[in-house]
Amino acid sequence: MSGLDLAQSIIKAVSKYFDEVAVLITEKESTMIKLWNTEPSITQTWLETSIRLRLVKSGRLWILQFETKDPIYIIKNAEEVLELADRVEESEIYASLPEPGRCAPLKDAYDPKVVDFMNDPGKLVEEVIDASMSHGVDRVAGAITLTKTNTSLVTSRGFQCEEKTTSVEAYARAFKGDFSGHWAHGSTRLSIEKIREVGERAGYYATLTNNKVDITPGVYDIIISPLVAGNLFNYVASMASALNVMTGFSVFAKYKTGEKIGAESFSLYDKPRDVMLPNTRSFDDEGVETYDKPIIENGVVKNILHNSGTAQKMGVKTSGNAGWIRPLPWNLEINEGALREEELIPEVRSGLFILNNWYTRLQNYYEGYFSTVSRDMVLVINNGEIIGHGGRIRIATSFPKLMKNVAGASRERFDISWWEVRIPTRTPFIMLQDIPVTKPEV
Amino acid sequence: MTQDETLLMKAIDRGLDLGAEYVEARLQDDYGYSVTIRNDKVIGISRSRFKGVGIRVLVEGSLGFASTNNLTLEKVLEVVEKAITRAKATSRFRRRRIEFSKERLGKAKYSVVEKKPLLDLKVDEAVQLLLSIYKSSRGALREAKLPSMLNSLRVSIQEKLVVTSDGGAVESRIPRLYVSIGSTLFYQDRVLQRFREFGGSGGSELINEWKVDEVVMNELMKLENVLVKGTTPPGEKVDVVLGPEVVGLIVHESAGHPMEADRILGREAAQAGESYVKPDMIGKFKVGNEHATVIEDPTIPGSYGFYLYDDECVRARPRYLYKEGTLHEPLHNRHTATLFGTNSNGASRAMDYASEPIIRMSNTYLAPGTLKFEELIEDIHLGIYVKSYMEWNIDDARWNQRYVGLESYIIRNGEIAEPVLNPVLEFTTGWFYSNIVNVDRNLEFYPGTCGKGEPSQGVPVWFGGPNTRLNKIKVGVLK
Repeated sequence: MSGLDLAQSIIKAVSKYFDEVAVLITEKESTMIKLWNTEPSITQTWLETSIRLRLVKSGRLWILQFETKDPIYIIKNAEEVLELADRVEESEIYASLPEPGRCAPLKDAYDPKVVDFMNDPGKLVEEVIDASMSHGVDRVAGAITLTKTNTSLVTSRGFQCEEKTTSVEAYARAFKGDFSGHWAHGSTRLSIEKIREVGERAGYYATLTNNKVDITPGVYDIIISPLVAGNLFNYVASMASALNVMTGFSVFAKYKTGEKIGAESFSLYDKPRDVMLPNTRSFDDEGVETYDKPIIENGVVKNILHNSGTAQKMGVKTSGNAGWIRPLPWNLEINEGALREEELIPEVRSGLFILNNWYTRLQNYYEGYFSTVSRDMVLVINNGEIIGHGGRIRIATSFPKLMKNVAGASRERFDISWWEVRIPTRTPFIMLQDIPVTKPEV
Repeated sequence: MTQDETLLMKAIDRGLDLGAEYVEARLQDDYGYSVTIRNDKVIGISRSRFKGVGIRVLVEGSLGFASTNNLTLEKVLEVVEKAITRAKATSRFRRRRIEFSKERLGKAKYSVVEKKPLLDLKVDEAVQLLLSIYKSSRGALREAKLPSMLNSLRVSIQEKLVVTSDGGAVESRIPRLYVSIGSTLFYQDRVLQRFREFGGSGGSELINEWKVDEVVMNELMKLENVLVKGTTPPGEKVDVVLGPEVVGLIVHESAGHPMEADRILGREAAQAGESYVKPDMIGKFKVGNEHATVIEDPTIPGSYGFYLYDDECVRARPRYLYKEGTLHEPLHNRHTATLFGTNSNGASRAMDYASEPIIRMSNTYLAPGTLKFEELIEDIHLGIYVKSYMEWNIDDARWNQRYVGLESYIIRNGEIAEPVLNPVLEFTTGWFYSNIVNVDRNLEFYPGTCGKGEPSQGVPVWFGGPNTRLNKIKVGVLK
């Protein structure tokens, strides 16, 4: 039984009990090769069907999520919900399902080569390892993941559609003594050149300097790589979800639509229609046709991300970002700048180049105070030249300050997806001015 | 033999027939519900069930894992074959055969006792509980506003049946309850946000034991005081006392994680990172002083990280990660135990059926002492007491760490005095464990969801410790 058929059969079985039903089925096959010490640590495969139901009775909103294919169990659960429906209160973010959008599945988001490599991913492993090792690194770690997904949505409002996509995610971390480099790539398509570039850049950065330099905490001009930009703007974009705004756990609860939050040169877009980026989708979870939109454009807040419920609550239209409970960004894109990649470091008289980061945490989402820790190369720049690696440091500031201090970006952009960048992001290298940097002094 | 055991045994037989040296079959069923409210309104109610089979194989010295939630024999056997063929497909890159240590494996069945069955806690009761927390908290504040409170409650049951080709067979049932309270307080132009969590294993009796309503209300009144009256931390170096919540997080991050043997060996290098600890440092390296004893114990009854056998069927036991300042015993699974030439200490856990078992913490804490809190601080002339936190992070070697306090106070002449706003602490792991002046006897635990692995697995843990006094350090401010 196809996902669409299964969704239709569930709708048929339970819609008599409820005012509204939506069934979202995701069928997925995925293979991941995880590397450590220049060899596979494990090869993992997942064959999964995820079944999600949105059930509404008298304004009571229930979400059922199953990773079991037992239809009797699913229907029994729906019936049990019915018994409880009048004992709980109406959901604050309930709105009736919108008019069905057009079913026009994306045409270019499925690459058969991805599926071909699932059974024999050895060539991809070889490319990553060889490209890294060609720089003379000691060892390389990373992961390569290949996925094919079939997403089916049927609603009691009459929407039904299915969409096939593939995705490739590759990232590598190369080590040379105490120094390391990292790179990542994510796409719906398989490109051997891009997979090789992951290993190539990881090895390149790991061997760019072998000199250690001590950094003093203070305020610095900083170049952040696409890995860092991807991570930080994943947090910003997630805070653009209207549910986060409603709950106050968002910088967009303070900075409203139309207000300035960043530099004129900075724009951040939600891009569900970009078929090269892995989370591309033509319809959202409520059957609304997706569309690309700015979250921040020329430094001004342009859009909060909505489903029907949050949109109704805030008196606007849905933005095609459902999430039945929480609206979410699909893919992100940051605008390019004017500089060539090789011009970035000479452009900085004195400052830092941060290749990678992790563990971004906020003290206060409303004002956007956060810190994040560097990992891999932190290049110390003096008079436009690299003088060494500065070790592990921390950017500690607020997101509005960071965005207001964007001073430029590279022309070339990179499609990034990895462990610390789970919303695929197309981003350039970004130059920031006057950013507080800390590290322990004891 | 039950139907489930028969299915898993057939999977094991197929794997062995196809040449696997080791096969482990795990049927895991995670089910329950969650309720989320914002202020006095329901946002959503969810029910979920994740049930499937995860198969792990060792074949030609390579490790393979595959899972499915289609529980027909045909599909389960298909994933056994995929685990094997895809592990073989990359075996040419293998430099060293993966081997599992020989262990005395469990044949056991256990379940957590529920004084009141957890599933008897109905959805409408959960909603009422969360609503009452909001109402009592809002009513308790005098000067600050509470524009937003995001409260959620999750009931989850985890059932596992693990069978291994070398004789392990363990069946378990662990019910867990979790409550999260997210608050935003405003006072004039000041804002403070707080997540408070409650978590444990057991039945619905936990709700009464935790007294969530009372604890949250009291804490918000204290946070209101911090928000309204909080001052900037002193500029000079001061004595610092950290509360159990902060100490628990510190030992989780800087003793638990760096003592995971897979991390030490580089298996998480490209994800959660490595460790400042190297294999030859175990038993030799002094990371701290005599107060630096950190214990990891999955067997604490009622704990959020409770289990008695791990997912490789190895019996769980307490482990001393740091003992009186020395690196003592890393957390092991059967693979890392082989590489270290020792035995597994039962740290292998999987989040769900679709996750490979990897080395995880359970309940991690700094050993308490005998002092009363008053005795711990009585000779402090000027200091800071940091009781809770919001922002924190640590580098990927688990050495350079930062915590930003929430409920924090000046200590003046041996007594808790006025509140302090957002004190920032940055120190290294070595500094922290070497600068513990003393600890009190008040051991408390806090729940968390620890993330690790690829794909990332979140597993329930407790972390805790006593109030802990440190030597003088400069305290920073947010910029």
